[in-house]
Amino acid sequence: MNQILVRHKWEPYLWLLPSLLLMGIFVVYPIGIVFKLSFSEISRSGMVGGFNGLSNYITAVTAPEFGSVMLNTLIWVVSVVGISTLLGFIVALVLNAEFRGRKIARSIVVFPWAATLVVQASMWKYIINIEYGALNNTLLNTGILSRAVNWRPSYIIDFAWECGIGIFVTVPFVTFCVLAGLQSIDLSYYEAATVDGAGFWKKLRHLTLPLVRPSLTVSTVLNIIYVFNSFPIIYTITRGAPAHKTDTLVTYLYMLAFSEQRKGPATALSVVGFVILCICAGAYMIITMRKEDAE
Amino acid sequence: MTVRKGNLLSLSAVILLALLSVLILSLPVYRFDATVFTKRSGNTFMGDERYQAARAEVDDTVADYTRRGIHTEVSEEVIERVNSKGDTTSLVIFRVNREIGCSGWDFIRTGFPSGRVLVWMLAAEGLALLLACGAGIRDSRKRSGETWRRRVRQAAAWAALLCMLLTVFFVLYTNVIIYRRIGLYAAGVAESPGEAVLASADALIYQGAGGTDTAALLRDTASHCAVTWWLQLPVLLCMAALLVRLSGADVRKTFARGCLYLFVIVMCAVILYPFVIMFTSAFRTDADANDINFLHLFPVDWRWENFSHILGRGVLRYLLNSLLLSSGSTCLALLCGIPAAYALARMRFRGRKAFLGFVIMSQMFSPVVLLVGISRLLIDLRLSDTIPGLVFINAAFNQAFAIWLLRGTFVSISPEMEQAACIDGCNSVSALIRVLIPMSAPGIVTTLIFVFINSWNEYTISTVVIHSDVNFPITVGLTQFAAFSMIQWNYLFASSLLATVPVVILFMLIEKHLVSGLTSGGVKG
Repeated sequence: MNQILVRHKWEPYLWLLPSLLLMGIFVVYPIGIVFKLSFSEISRSGMVGGFNGLSNYITAVTAPEFGSVMLNTLIWVVSVVGISTLLGFIVALVLNAEFRGRKIARSIVVFPWAATLVVQASMWKYIINIEYGALNNTLLNTGILSRAVNWRPSYIIDFAWECGIGIFVTVPFVTFCVLAGLQSIDLSYYEAATVDGAGFWKKLRHLTLPLVRPSLTVSTVLNIIYVFNSFPIIYTITRGAPAHKTDTLVTYLYMLAFSEQRKGPATALSVVGFVILCICAGAYMIITMRKEDAE
Repeated sequence: MTVRKGNLLSLSAVILLALLSVLILSLPVYRFDATVFTKRSGNTFMGDERYQAARAEVDDTVADYTRRGIHTEVSEEVIERVNSKGDTTSLVIFRVNREIGCSGWDFIRTGFPSGRVLVWMLAAEGLALLLACGAGIRDSRKRSGETWRRRVRQAAAWAALLCMLLTVFFVLYTNVIIYRRIGLYAAGVAESPGEAVLASADALIYQGAGGTDTAALLRDTASHCAVTWWLQLPVLLCMAALLVRLSGADVRKTFARGCLYLFVIVMCAVILYPFVIMFTSAFRTDADANDINFLHLFPVDWRWENFSHILGRGVLRYLLNSLLLSSGSTCLALLCGIPAAYALARMRFRGRKAFLGFVIMSQMFSPVVLLVGISRLLIDLRLSDTIPGLVFINAAFNQAFAIWLLRGTFVSISPEMEQAACIDGCNSVSALIRVLIPMSAPGIVTTLIFVFINSWNEYTISTVVIHSDVNFPITVGLTQFAAFSMIQWNYLFASSLLATVPVVILFMLIEKHLVSGLTSGGVKG
């Protein structure tokens, strides 16, 4: 029996009430507002007019930059999540090994996860600057370069830098997820495998990988959602310039709504983004609930 | 105690490798494409007398070098100009270039600063050799060997490793002297590296012919480390491996271990790099932070007044706002979250599963896609541009995580104590407060800190919701130093430092607990 006595049937709901109220007003209600606005006419000054069907959606989708923004979003999510999962897995394997200074190394790996994204994005913006950037300065001062390099020659490279910074800040999360999985593995499996003569790669492929797969799944699904929503990196470094060519959906949406004052298409895009998120979240919920049932 | 044939072989190989490495040092290890002679001939017409005279002088120099058995190449740069009469005249610059290969001994002999690195390297190598020979050829395996032999051989292997590091360091140091210390001086940017350095560079590259022009000549000099020098690394690596083998350790395992440490060191360096840059730039002057030719790793004079300046420019206010905002959000999130988590963990009721599903689902709803809705809602509630508005939003969006983590903590604690308390006449409220909360303190603290950090780091909603300067949280406030046209990096980083340090420390405290919390559900800031 993992329960305590409930005196009235309605008592549990009373316990949930504050939380429900808070989330109802500040999470669910804005969803409703966004949906309603996406079907309404909104003037530049923000006055809400009447129902105007799908015209907001049509305006948003037919905008010339829509295609490139969606493509950017796809590249952003796939590259950041994919590469940081791979790197995070490797780092977790390393940090799971016994060595001197492991505690220090683990604390250092936390840094990019803990520090604010705006701050980290600004740091990198400073580092890759050509005129006074720290990277050029360091490489020149150590004699590795003999001449300053322009690290940001084009917007494509800019976007690649943004992906790189996204990976930099995402790796620790994967690392700690996998590390949690690795530490729950019974060491006797490894002993048995060693007795059977399995080498490092065999153990990795047939033992470690299947056993940490649940943690990897959780971290991957969550990362897809968090990376999709990531805003400060791109906003700080390029602001989508030039002409929305380095924007992802969320930064584009922000620009439309708050700097170009085109709230109609922006809300339509919010709904699009929200639906994409819901699909991912649904997948995650199914995975988690299944795990919950298994316990 | 046994003497093995293999040991004798290994030791002789070590001696041979050491000799080989000294031999490499005697090869031309560093190459300079040096301009040894420059002749400018201004206001000339191609092929006229002046040109011929300059040409003859250049040819003399070349012949002189050829007599000494040195191969040179002449380059001719022509810059055309139109003079006041309207005629086109040329400025012709002749350069006599030669490639100079300098051996390691040249570096040491001429007293070039990086020659000292080579001296250390030789010393380390000699030490390694001395130790290896001193340990003799007797075995030092764990079973049969003597501990002191093993220790001595290990020390020798470390010395060989040090040699490798110095090998790389030599190249970097040489480049730094030529390109940065002398190059920037010649360009008029940095102070003189000193007469001694210039004289030794002159002696090394121009055999004393550069004189006072050495710095200017060096500006045109390209230099690179010859391939032969890099042969040092495999040679020294083999030497270290043999010494490890002699000491009785497993070479493959030691190598794998070395790679592990190398990986960790490189990884930590990459992660710390931007943070070190932030830290050091925060103490620099504005001019130093914008100077690519800044020659030092750390600030020359530590400008603590940067901090008093930014605190005076509103950062203190922003920090207080952030503190208020994060504490408020954390309290609210926990006040609402603890009862909900308690009900989910301990009670069975209709809709429990649905609520749990909703909680997991809402963990995904980032406020970013809902920005328009949130800003409108806050306007309707008259909470726009206020800190309480942000408190509600942050608490609501952290609710899912708080409930999830707290529920996990509560479930892991056996309910027997509470049941006993209930039998003693406590109701469920006092059972929660008196029994469960004290018992689950670590989990609650973890949740508390995590929600605090999330609220502290929140940026996107605040930029939209807060318009007036006095209500900015630190994340938004610090961007005022990064205005589009002018960025005051030293102030930006000083305030970033203040915003980051407390959070990173808090995060390191809960890292361990958070990892165990992650297994029961996923979370991220």
